[in-house]
Amino acid sequence: MNRFIAFIVSLMFLSCGCENMAKAGMFDAEEFYLDNGLRVIVIPNHKAPIVRQMLWYKVGSVDEKLGEGGMAHLLEHLMFRGTKKVGKDEYNKIIQENGIDGNAFTSKDFTVYYQSMDISRLELAMFLEADRMHNLNLSQENFELERDIVFQERKQMVDNSPNAPFAENLRSLIWGMHPYARPVTGQPSEIMGLKLEHLRDFYRRYYVPNNAILVLSGDIEPNMAKKLAEKYYGNLKKTEVGERVDFPDVDKNGETRLVMELPQINSTRLTNSWIVPSYQTKNDEIYNLMVLSKYLGEGETSKLYKKLVKSKKLALAVNSSYDFGGRSYGTFSIGILPKDGISADEMQQALDKAIDEAIAEIDIKEIENTKHKMRAGLVYLRDNPNEAASIAGALAASGMSLQEMENYEDNIAAVEPDSVKKTAEKYLRINKRIGGVLLPLGGLNG
Amino acid sequence: MVRRGRRNSYGILLKIVLAAVFVYCGYSIYEKNAFLNLSEFVEKSELNGRNFNTKVEEVVSPRYKIKAYLFKNKTNPIIAMNFMFKNAGYASEDENKLGIANLATEMLISGAGDLNDEQFKEKLEDNAISIGFHAEKDDFPGSLLTTVENKEIAFEMLKNVLEKPRFESDDLLRAKQRLQEALRQQSEHPESVLRLEFNKELYGTHQYGRNPLGKKDTIDKITAQDLRDFMKRNFAKSNLIVGVAGDITVDELGAWLDRIFGGLPENANMNFVRNPDINFVAKNKDIKLTTAQNTAMFAVEGVSRNDTDFYPLYVANFILGGSGLTSRLSLAARENEGLTYSIWTTMGLADKSPLIIGSFSSTPEKFDDVVQIMLQEWRNFATKGATALEVEEAKKYLIASYNLRFAAISDIAEMMMLMQRDNLGVDFLQKRNNYVRDVSLEQVNRVAAQYYNAEKLVRVNIGVFAEENKEHE
Repeated sequence: MNRFIAFIVSLMFLSCGCENMAKAGMFDAEEFYLDNGLRVIVIPNHKAPIVRQMLWYKVGSVDEKLGEGGMAHLLEHLMFRGTKKVGKDEYNKIIQENGIDGNAFTSKDFTVYYQSMDISRLELAMFLEADRMHNLNLSQENFELERDIVFQERKQMVDNSPNAPFAENLRSLIWGMHPYARPVTGQPSEIMGLKLEHLRDFYRRYYVPNNAILVLSGDIEPNMAKKLAEKYYGNLKKTEVGERVDFPDVDKNGETRLVMELPQINSTRLTNSWIVPSYQTKNDEIYNLMVLSKYLGEGETSKLYKKLVKSKKLALAVNSSYDFGGRSYGTFSIGILPKDGISADEMQQALDKAIDEAIAEIDIKEIENTKHKMRAGLVYLRDNPNEAASIAGALAASGMSLQEMENYEDNIAAVEPDSVKKTAEKYLRINKRIGGVLLPLGGLNG
Repeated sequence: MVRRGRRNSYGILLKIVLAAVFVYCGYSIYEKNAFLNLSEFVEKSELNGRNFNTKVEEVVSPRYKIKAYLFKNKTNPIIAMNFMFKNAGYASEDENKLGIANLATEMLISGAGDLNDEQFKEKLEDNAISIGFHAEKDDFPGSLLTTVENKEIAFEMLKNVLEKPRFESDDLLRAKQRLQEALRQQSEHPESVLRLEFNKELYGTHQYGRNPLGKKDTIDKITAQDLRDFMKRNFAKSNLIVGVAGDITVDELGAWLDRIFGGLPENANMNFVRNPDINFVAKNKDIKLTTAQNTAMFAVEGVSRNDTDFYPLYVANFILGGSGLTSRLSLAARENEGLTYSIWTTMGLADKSPLIIGSFSSTPEKFDDVVQIMLQEWRNFATKGATALEVEEAKKYLIASYNLRFAAISDIAEMMMLMQRDNLGVDFLQKRNNYVRDVSLEQVNRVAAQYYNAEKLVRVNIGVFAEENKEHE
């Protein structure tokens, strides 16, 4: 009995210590904000004495001025070149000596830094990450070296890929004047034309605690995380975030298509894309769209797969995806690989017909099956602390509250077949479709 | 008075200036952190010194004596099982059945027992189970991931896959068409063309020089009976290796090992793969293709996982090209010169041909500069070796990062399998860091001189080369 009372008392003390923390379900994560506006999410996982730190800045290629493509990405590289406290070439050395695996990536909306490490190195990594948020050594020498490296990166990762011209042109066609049309890497000529003073300004404007989300996932408890976040990030000053880009409206009418023949390409591929809501633009429809994507084309039990690959035997693969996590609109995409000998037009007609049939076949049984599959494997999200950090960080950066992401299972369960049907008709049948056809040279006549 | 006064005012001024200088110096020192001791962040951290139980148990099934390594972990209610059929990879395919190993990876999960392809995949998804296979050069590994709640369904499905695969004609036709499509797409990207050409250059007609996906003609002719023969010859208790991690007991696992794998034949009858006869002499081959960058792939002879030189070479390779941005090659070509985005080396551990293999790429006009830097660093490493500091730093990383391997339960299960494949022993996890710690500077420098021999470096490049550059000018 006494032991029981002691347990209750200890629980009360624990809850007193974290009054401003919200508790929830998919990750059993907790979150809090520092006074300077830094949002912190903690995902305890005690399988091994390891932890991942991720820092998500809400800045990406969309925040670049016209002609300054690649700026956000180049800055990401320069973050590894030392600070006023950590000497040039020292950062990577310190990280290595401490057995830390770290990296970073830039997307159209976000720039993300992360390190996985033994828990004993977390304080060191937090010091280094907080330090480079405001202390970066942006010298001309470092700038020129990293500019040359990101130029080579663009050549290796984009231009070396035989379908790169297709991917870049298709993105332009989908987004038109919207900044999502521009490549995250920037064009090669833009990269070489970037100026250090503009990059310094970019760093000052967006690398501030109130424009960032810190995720700590692994062998750490929320109370300790809070103490360490205060210790290492608490002194950083809240600063007005730089000017936010105005996202233009996009043309949602009509239909457009890009057909491209390219050397080195040996087989035909088709894509269909639609601009749809994201969590940011219209969050009441995202769960309908998630269920729709799973129902239509995610995996080998999906409707389009059964119809086009198994039954009609016209395609070898089909998949759908829904990107709802950006700061502007989302996209719904279907990619399809026709069987050898099936023309692009024949494939597109069959796809249209299959989509119509699939939408018409939406009923309670189909949607309950789909929802069950989406909920069945959620326990795996608790397995790998690195993956949990990436998922929670991406959802938080998209604007989701912790409660919203923890309630994912309930939100999926609540989706009604009629709503999925209406959402499908509204976005896939009325909104503008952007078709893309990639062909081998001579494929148009072949 | 005046003078004194003046003297006083000078004195005050001097004090102010001195104070300002003092404050400025103090600030500068603070800013530059002359006293910053980074190791204190670790030594004084409250999070330091946590222990971690990495005990591995050897499980032997009661009836058929099938062995497995088990890493018990109850953090989450999930179980991962990784297994392999040793020496059943694509290198041991029959000459007239090339592609069958890859075809089997898809066909094995296209229906089994009472379930056809669609029913089988529905059941996997409904129960959050994944079962998959992979055709490697030497071996044929498979994996299973399940929740504890659905483990019986998962294990029964795997048993059926191994005992009663359906291999239905529609599914086989589709799998073949997909493999043919993979062959077509394989020759689109310059890097995958380079990998194939590099293997041909190194191995010639030896099985390691084969296209891992097979050949168009042989794939077309493979039948369901061929797949059954492939399984019969290659999947047996004698070449089975099993690793498990997650929430399962020794007794329970033992019983399941009998049930899942007990029906396999006792002995396998694979094709023997001889050691390749490679002529490691300095050679360089260019493959012309219009690309944005030129890419090189290069190799010298390495050592196998059980060789006494393995750990010294592991540390040596980390220093030269294995550590990412801090490796010598990366510092020289990327960090100091900005000539490439990536340059690396790694240890290739194929059973019959261990290698030290590497790659880099750069735009055509800078490619030769990277080649020269790479060769210079390579020779320098062989002749002068590493420094004591480099060896210490490399060992620090390799030891401190070791726990990162325990992030995902399926990765741990794979480790359990590989520990047995490589005969590392059931207590390997407790010993591994000591193996690294025991590597000396002398050992590293001996293997650097022995293996990093530029006179034996085989290199193949793809892209746009000098003559073409001139033509364009």
